[in-house]
Amino acid sequence: MTAFRALLAAESRLLIRDRVALFFTIGFPLVFILIFGFVMGDVGETAASLGLYVASGVEQAVLQEVFAESGVTELRTYPSEEALVAAVTTGEVEFGASWDGADLRFVYHANRVQENPTYETIARSSLDAFELRRGGLAPAVPVRAEAVGGTPDVSWFHQLVPGILAFSILASGLFAVSGHVTGMKERGTLARLTVTPMRPVTLLAAIMAARLTLVLLSTTMTLLIAWWGFRLEFAVNWLRFVGLVACSTVGTMGLGTIIALVVRRASSAANAANVLSMGMLFLSGVYFPIEFLPGGLRALSQALPLRHMAEAMRFAIGVRDMSVGRFWGIALALAVLGIVLLPLLARYVVRADRR
Amino acid sequence: MNDVLRVARTHVLTAVRERITLFWFLIFPLLLLVLLSAIFGQIGRSGGMQFAVSLVDLDRGEERAFSDLVVRLFQTLASNEEASGEPLFALSLPGEDEDPTAFLETAREELLRGQRAAVVILPNGFGDAVLAGLGGASATPDAELRVLYAAGNAASEMARSIVLQVLARVDREILERAGRLDATTTVRTETSWVGGAGEQASYIDFLLPGIVLMGLFVNGLFGIPGSILFARERRILRRYWVTPLGVPRFLAGLSIGHVALCVVQFALLYAVGRFALGATVSFADAATVGLLVLAAATFMALGFVIASLAKTGNAGMAVANALNMPIMFLSGLFFPISGLPAALRVIVYINPASYLAAGLRARLGVDAATFPTALIVLVPLAWVAVAAVLVAVRMRWDVER
Amino acid sequence: MTPEAALRVKNLCKRYGEVRAVDDVSFEAGVGTVFTLLGPNGAGKTTTLEILEGIRHPDSGSLELFGVAMDRVGRVTKQRFGVLLQEGNFEQYLRVREVIELFASFFDASRSVDEILEMVALKDKARAYVKALSGGQKQRLALGAALVNDPDLVFLDEPTTGLDPQARRNIWTMTDGLRRQGKTILLTTHYMEEAESLSDTVCVMDHGRIIAQGTPRELTTSLDRETMIEFAVGDLDEADVEKLRGCCAAIRRQGELLTVETEELVPTMEAILEWARLNEVSVRNMVVRQPNLEDVFLSLTGRRLRE
Repeated sequence: MTAFRALLAAESRLLIRDRVALFFTIGFPLVFILIFGFVMGDVGETAASLGLYVASGVEQAVLQEVFAESGVTELRTYPSEEALVAAVTTGEVEFGASWDGADLRFVYHANRVQENPTYETIARSSLDAFELRRGGLAPAVPVRAEAVGGTPDVSWFHQLVPGILAFSILASGLFAVSGHVTGMKERGTLARLTVTPMRPVTLLAAIMAARLTLVLLSTTMTLLIAWWGFRLEFAVNWLRFVGLVACSTVGTMGLGTIIALVVRRASSAANAANVLSMGMLFLSGVYFPIEFLPGGLRALSQALPLRHMAEAMRFAIGVRDMSVGRFWGIALALAVLGIVLLPLLARYVVRADRR
Repeated sequence: MNDVLRVARTHVLTAVRERITLFWFLIFPLLLLVLLSAIFGQIGRSGGMQFAVSLVDLDRGEERAFSDLVVRLFQTLASNEEASGEPLFALSLPGEDEDPTAFLETAREELLRGQRAAVVILPNGFGDAVLAGLGGASATPDAELRVLYAAGNAASEMARSIVLQVLARVDREILERAGRLDATTTVRTETSWVGGAGEQASYIDFLLPGIVLMGLFVNGLFGIPGSILFARERRILRRYWVTPLGVPRFLAGLSIGHVALCVVQFALLYAVGRFALGATVSFADAATVGLLVLAAATFMALGFVIASLAKTGNAGMAVANALNMPIMFLSGLFFPISGLPAALRVIVYINPASYLAAGLRARLGVDAATFPTALIVLVPLAWVAVAAVLVAVRMRWDVER
Repeated sequence: MTPEAALRVKNLCKRYGEVRAVDDVSFEAGVGTVFTLLGPNGAGKTTTLEILEGIRHPDSGSLELFGVAMDRVGRVTKQRFGVLLQEGNFEQYLRVREVIELFASFFDASRSVDEILEMVALKDKARAYVKALSGGQKQRLALGAALVNDPDLVFLDEPTTGLDPQARRNIWTMTDGLRRQGKTILLTTHYMEEAESLSDTVCVMDHGRIIAQGTPRELTTSLDRETMIEFAVGDLDEADVEKLRGCCAAIRRQGELLTVETEELVPTMEAILEWARLNEVSVRNMVVRQPNLEDVFLSLTGRRLRE
């Protein structure tokens, strides 16, 4: 047992001194949360400010009502069409509408590439509603939209946090093997250790324990910052949370092992891990929903561990619902992945490096 | 001059031959360009996205026409007939012998778990209500068609919005058939675009300048400290210092080599953006080229700042990683930065990337300029000056002195 | 002071805090000679050389290279000499030819790349990456880079450390060739054989000071002893060694190896053999040799050149 404790102490010290590892495990999620917290702030409500010009006040009240119902957040009126166009051009309002009794013209700014689809949607539904309202008609199809879900106040930021947590666990686990262990092999440190009576499994257990502690600390800290700094409420189920973090750390170390075994040169393993984790980050529904991906990539996304880790994390901290069976299934799969690969990793530790 | 050019050539060759450097400076920005334009370029366009929607028809009333109409419309949208590429909906209906209520419960569960984007429910008495509505009666809440969506879930919210649009179409059709919509009620509509190029900019035109800047940024921030710090650590530099080469010439060569890499990177991104992804934005005027050169120089300067302050290659890379995101995200390059608290706004204002990004987009006509031209040039130049001072004063060129 | 000195150093000093790395060092290297600084690690050899190479600044003292006096070595002077650093690397992903081309571009005048490659026997490796070279090949490449401007003065700082014997001999051959071309070589080493076989003048350094200087012959004959008798013994206790001291004045012991210094070969030899027989000591691998620089250093400092 003392070997384990000594190695654990050594590994912990190494980890604290390894600035790049620290950055990815602690710094990265923190920085991310901080930036996104401030920058994205009130995302979910894209400001849709509309400029309106109505010739001789015809049906203005109706129009304004219709627009308000369709999602316009701010409405300003202008005395002429030129004034309206000028306002849209300078960005005083996001888009504009002008009504002369027969034509409802919409004016968009050519460069609001990301926001215009939303405004076009508003325009279309306003158009439909206006037509009906003018004719004194009620919509033929009575429709009501209902929000379901136990967490009604969940913003995009809420969704982002578990994704970031999952990514930092992924990075930590991957680099623990494809980076740390491979680095030790490259420098010859592993060779020096393995000629002692120490069993490779002890070393790996120490590495795992050190990383796990660090990751638990950093994820909890991130949650705290999100809660304290940005008033994000999470209903954390601690059993699931800790369980998921533990299983994920094991599982991602397993992934790191696969990389280390496939990429023969130790120095390239860390690079490969970096590339893969960045790729996964984009395709795992962390930044934007999977539905936005084109079909082929969506299918690929199913195969990515980060995707499932992020979804499980969302469940663990109460952001989204999931079947408990599926949650523990994911956790178990990750744990099994790591455990099954452990003997391979042990053999890698002992084996002489082929050049 | 020959020595300077040789140093430049060396820098380029070693960057290109080391696979991982090649990846980060060429392949990564390219992938990002292609991926982001594939993903975001298709939002709002047909054939792009697909939503999993469940539709439950609980209507037992006499009037079947309307419910059938709704169901048929959804089925059409879920088949490949209408759209090019993927159908808009992946539709799920209860089976022949399936209990619709049970199906509804399952669908609700799936919606909660994010496995489904929306659930559409045609309640009992829906058809009758529509008919009555056409006759002037207002519908009771029970007879309203319900669209269930998961709040806070971006995909679900989008699905809701799309479903509502679809239903609006149904609405029109019904009203038209019932003869309610006529010339007096119909509203003509027109769309026009102002600003920029005068017609709707495509996403790729919006994205390409941003990726170009990002490429230059990553190059400068990681490439320069990486080269200098690791070369110093591995005692490659000291072999130069015992020759007449000298630090100033070495720096000149390094800078020229770096600029050459930036040009290659730009050319590749532009070629792919223009010929493969259909970008129309043109970089071909003096002011734009000047801005790009300024950007390359500024980001190179940032790299020198890091190289002056870090002791080892690993420390330098850690600093670069830490600065990477704040600088990129707090520059308005990827999303608007209004509404920031004062502390962060300060960062935005001292961040040279903010000015360069704004300047580039303005030059290309993609966006209105948010900073005055003078600042767009002066703030980056100020950073170049800061870097020059730091290099002269603090940079250690050998492992020991 | 002969006018034929390629290099003159006077009262050179360099301190790091309390440590005097170079402590009042003065010497002259004649044109067309191999001048060696010999000493253990930390003696100040490399520091001295680095000051001469211009990558370290002295605290005090004067330098004269090629007849020009200076406090520090600058760009102009660097055009005229070549340096093989003790520790240094080339970019891994450059080809051998590209390395030589790069260094050649630093000088106003340089030899052709092919000539250099020929000289250091790397012609067939011209297209190989630095990454793929062995230790000896890398050192030859470094030597090639040092000679690219056909310098009159060449600094070789520990040129054979860490090389296998074959590679070492290659470097010696090349060094000798340079000397025969009339170049002045300033060499540092802690290998006694290297100093002995290559040098015209040897300067023994320890703790930053010069403790002896002269030709290898002058230095070794400065010892009173003419002959060294060395042999290995099996298990031996101090008592037995003490008995040997009775007949032989100067005995050194290092583990199994005993070294006896003597002016009278035959009597001492007889005494040793007698002692061995009487005390039933098994004597193996007996060698009779001249004193070497290792012995000189030992007698001056009480320590070996290589710990």
